[in-house]
Amino acid sequence: MELRAYIVRRLLLIIPVLFGVTLLIFGLLQLFSPVERAALYVTDPKQFANIAEVIEKYGLDQPVWVQYGHWITEIFQGNLGWSKVVSQPVTSAMLNFLPATLELAIFATPLIIFGGIFLGSKAAAHKDKAIDHATRLGAIVGWSLPTFWLGLMLLMVFYGLFSGLFPPERLSTEMNIVVHSEAFTQYTKLHIIDAILNGNGRVLLDSLRHLVLPVITLTVVNLAFIMRLMRSSMLEALGKGYILTARAKGLDENTVVSKHARRNALIPVLTVSGYIFAGLVNGVVITETIFNYKGLGWWAWQSAVNLDISGVLGFALFNGVLFVFTNLVVDLLYARIDPRVRLGGKVT
Amino acid sequence: MNELLIIRNLTVKFYTYDGVVQALDNLDLDIKQEETFGLVGETGCGKTLTALSILRLISPPGRIESGSICFNIDDGDEPIDLLAIGEEEIRAIRGSKISMIFQEPSSALNPVYTIGDQVSEVILLHRRQELVNKAIETITALLAGRNSLVNILANPMRLAERSLYQKIAQNPHSLWPRIVGRIPIMRRLLQRLKDEAKKMAISMLKEVEIPDSERVAQQYPHQLSGGMEQRAVIAMALACSPSFLIADEPTTSLDVTIQDQILELLRRLKSERESSVLYITHDLGVAAQICDRIGVMYAGSLCEIARVDDLYANPLHPYTKALLAAVPKPGEEPHAIGGTVPDPLNLPSGCRFHPRCSRAIGMCREHVPPMHELASGHFIACHNYQGETGGSSC
Amino acid sequence: MTSLRFMLYQLRRNPLSIIGIVIILTFIIIAIFAPIIAPPPEGHIDPYMIPRDGYSPIPKPPNEEHLFGTTEGQYDIFYGVIWGTRSAFRVGLIVIGVVLVVGIVLGSLAGYFGGIIDEIIMRITDIFLAFPILILAMAITVALGPSPDNVIIALIIASWPSYARLIRGDILAVREEDYVEAARGMGGSHLRIITRHILPNSIYPTLVMASLDIGAVVLYAAALSFLGLGAQPGYVDWGQMISFSRNWIVGPPGNPLAYWYTVTIPGLFILLFVLGWNLLGDAFRDILDPRLSRK
Repeated sequence: MELRAYIVRRLLLIIPVLFGVTLLIFGLLQLFSPVERAALYVTDPKQFANIAEVIEKYGLDQPVWVQYGHWITEIFQGNLGWSKVVSQPVTSAMLNFLPATLELAIFATPLIIFGGIFLGSKAAAHKDKAIDHATRLGAIVGWSLPTFWLGLMLLMVFYGLFSGLFPPERLSTEMNIVVHSEAFTQYTKLHIIDAILNGNGRVLLDSLRHLVLPVITLTVVNLAFIMRLMRSSMLEALGKGYILTARAKGLDENTVVSKHARRNALIPVLTVSGYIFAGLVNGVVITETIFNYKGLGWWAWQSAVNLDISGVLGFALFNGVLFVFTNLVVDLLYARIDPRVRLGGKVT
Repeated sequence: MNELLIIRNLTVKFYTYDGVVQALDNLDLDIKQEETFGLVGETGCGKTLTALSILRLISPPGRIESGSICFNIDDGDEPIDLLAIGEEEIRAIRGSKISMIFQEPSSALNPVYTIGDQVSEVILLHRRQELVNKAIETITALLAGRNSLVNILANPMRLAERSLYQKIAQNPHSLWPRIVGRIPIMRRLLQRLKDEAKKMAISMLKEVEIPDSERVAQQYPHQLSGGMEQRAVIAMALACSPSFLIADEPTTSLDVTIQDQILELLRRLKSERESSVLYITHDLGVAAQICDRIGVMYAGSLCEIARVDDLYANPLHPYTKALLAAVPKPGEEPHAIGGTVPDPLNLPSGCRFHPRCSRAIGMCREHVPPMHELASGHFIACHNYQGETGGSSC
Repeated sequence: MTSLRFMLYQLRRNPLSIIGIVIILTFIIIAIFAPIIAPPPEGHIDPYMIPRDGYSPIPKPPNEEHLFGTTEGQYDIFYGVIWGTRSAFRVGLIVIGVVLVVGIVLGSLAGYFGGIIDEIIMRITDIFLAFPILILAMAITVALGPSPDNVIIALIIASWPSYARLIRGDILAVREEDYVEAARGMGGSHLRIITRHILPNSIYPTLVMASLDIGAVVLYAAALSFLGLGAQPGYVDWGQMISFSRNWIVGPPGNPLAYWYTVTIPGLFILLFVLGWNLLGDAFRDILDPRLSRK
């Protein structure tokens, strides 16, 4: 019963935030002239020939609240404007670039989360031992690494020094032709899954080869973050009374750590997993830029350097909304793992 | 009566950044079968440390430096030195032969597991053999049931289950449960053990007088009151009928009315199980209520041990006297103990109490007074009584 | 003050924090003495623009004239990284300074008064926190027009909410303390209670931690300039120098590492700079975390 009330309350809470998110983006939009803003409403490049008509149609010279009304209506209809850098509507550009980014995230996210939790627990369980110092140093250095520099250094070594071992981009030219040939059906646009479904081992191998460096680049920085967090929350949990109780019960150290401490230590890690999502998005833009890996991040970068506002703002809006929903999921998970939240009680 | 536990020369040190703290200093202590021994003293005098040392639960920067803790596991067997045995052996003793109740029930219970889970965990750990036998009985009963369709379908599964349990019964250390527990679908085969443990846990909760224990077993600690939480902790500690129970200020954080209930409960459970109790408290009133004998601790060592009536009627050590005088009584001004608790990093030489003692004599400054028996069963470590009566401490 | 002594002891005991301090001090010295370490050539008008030695697109390896070599377009790497220290400090100090002032003001308003003020300020932070910092900063920079100053503005706008929240939390924790109640009971004005009783008792740890975020801020700024949203070409900026190297990651056949210096050297400067702050931050975190210290 309390759980349902919690979920309802949590759902209601996202409405004002989503409204605010659109207001913020709309506010940024107001920094541009009506002519520039018109790009956000255009659905067909031919319309650029007659911008005055667009301005007229969407009331871009009228008071802001009228404009906001038009703008938000267009957004609900899925019209986010025209992305000049890829010559297609923003919405379809996002849909086209999403699979590439997803492919990257599918590999990096589990590595970051499970790797970070595992290493962090290990470090905490062996506090002040060699493994703790090693992971600690590794985490600080990893956390300080400029993602873009790490990516370029990796390229220098694994693409340059080892002559093309792990190349940039998403596929080699040859495999790109294969993927876009008629014989190859693109079911999901995720190359790896498509390659498996088509039974094409060469495409599979090629796309895996291209994923190695971007995934490493994306993982290192974020993994370091979770690891440090996990270590400190694990240390905190290990100092609690119930750990002493568990030891006094006669449980072995392994069970004490993995059953009694870890679950409690995960709670604070979960509360910041929103940051992990943000870190991933930040990382995706830089990683895809370095490796010329044509996903959402690459497109956002292209839009930004070409001052293509509909692309940049569309991407930002997309992320804002996605982030709000990610936090929703996190909070629900939080309720799942912590009975105090789920059932209500002394601690909130 | 035989001794259940004999502590000799127990020394515990803490290696902190400020220096080495001598937390326990050559402590000697005997606990007899079926007695309740009270350990009293001010906060920080080492009562809890003594308890944790018995279970070997002192964690860094603390370390047990020397000494022995001989524990009579079964009558007739050679006593074993808890400080000398291996990690695995001490784990088998923790929670089953010796268990502990902690001061703060709300922090002693893990917030993310139900009460039932936490009580049955200790049963699963130490009473496996019993559980397995019960499970085999249940399955055999099921197999002998009528030839209904359900039974025909379920029986092959049950046979597999029974053979697994029989394997465990024959060889308690077999790898089977561990292997099966790792495989997701197979894990169900061990469910019966958990169910049996849950049943035992619920009956244990009943025994500590938790009303509606089936429901409470499914609740989380934060849903219970402090008194109920402490009962659950007691259930956990007594689930394996330990011969020695350590209670570390179990009622300090509770309301006075609840305090009495818990004390009454402890007394009943203790006599039913014929176990010994080490009762740690700073409250002399509580100690008088529940203990048979009392040891008074000051700054890491014992200064007086006596039967409870003896101690209250005839306190000998100046510290005990001061402590008793500090207990407020109606119509009397309580007498605070002069001076302050010594800095653990910088303990006074000789008798630890001499800077605060009104009867300190010259040698108190230089020599640590040895513990000796002044009258039958009345031990004291004080130079003032040196040589009055002979007798060794052990 | 045993806590101060304890803190210094911990700092001294932790060799990593010593390394951090040494790194930061080195960078401060480099920033101050940049005109002496890497004097601008005579007749060079703006010292914050990297001097060029010709216009050839091919980078030149380190030599006597150019200690760390040159990038594409013949920008001197040594000059760039030395003077780039100044722009790194500029971004870091300004952003953290402004963000902390905003954070303290809004955080104490929200935390002290609570109620509707708290609700409004917190909902606004929610909105800003709905965006990953880099993405929001990117959008703002595009909206304002790419330039070093706009990168600073964008980072301030994108990162103030988390500090306001942190400080609000600290203040909430001490608001109900007896000494605050006492001051209120004695009829102190709100401003006086906040500045005299609440702030000094609650936010020092947060301020210390926040000031060590300079490393993170510089990292974001470098990322933005790497993406091409920062300075005009030639401005002394580490991120931009790395973007100059993008076409020169792999050398000619037979010598794949021919242009290593173009990417490695500016990158090491960023890494060391951020590392210095993070090492110090990590040591402080352990010290300030009451759950992990002492005992």
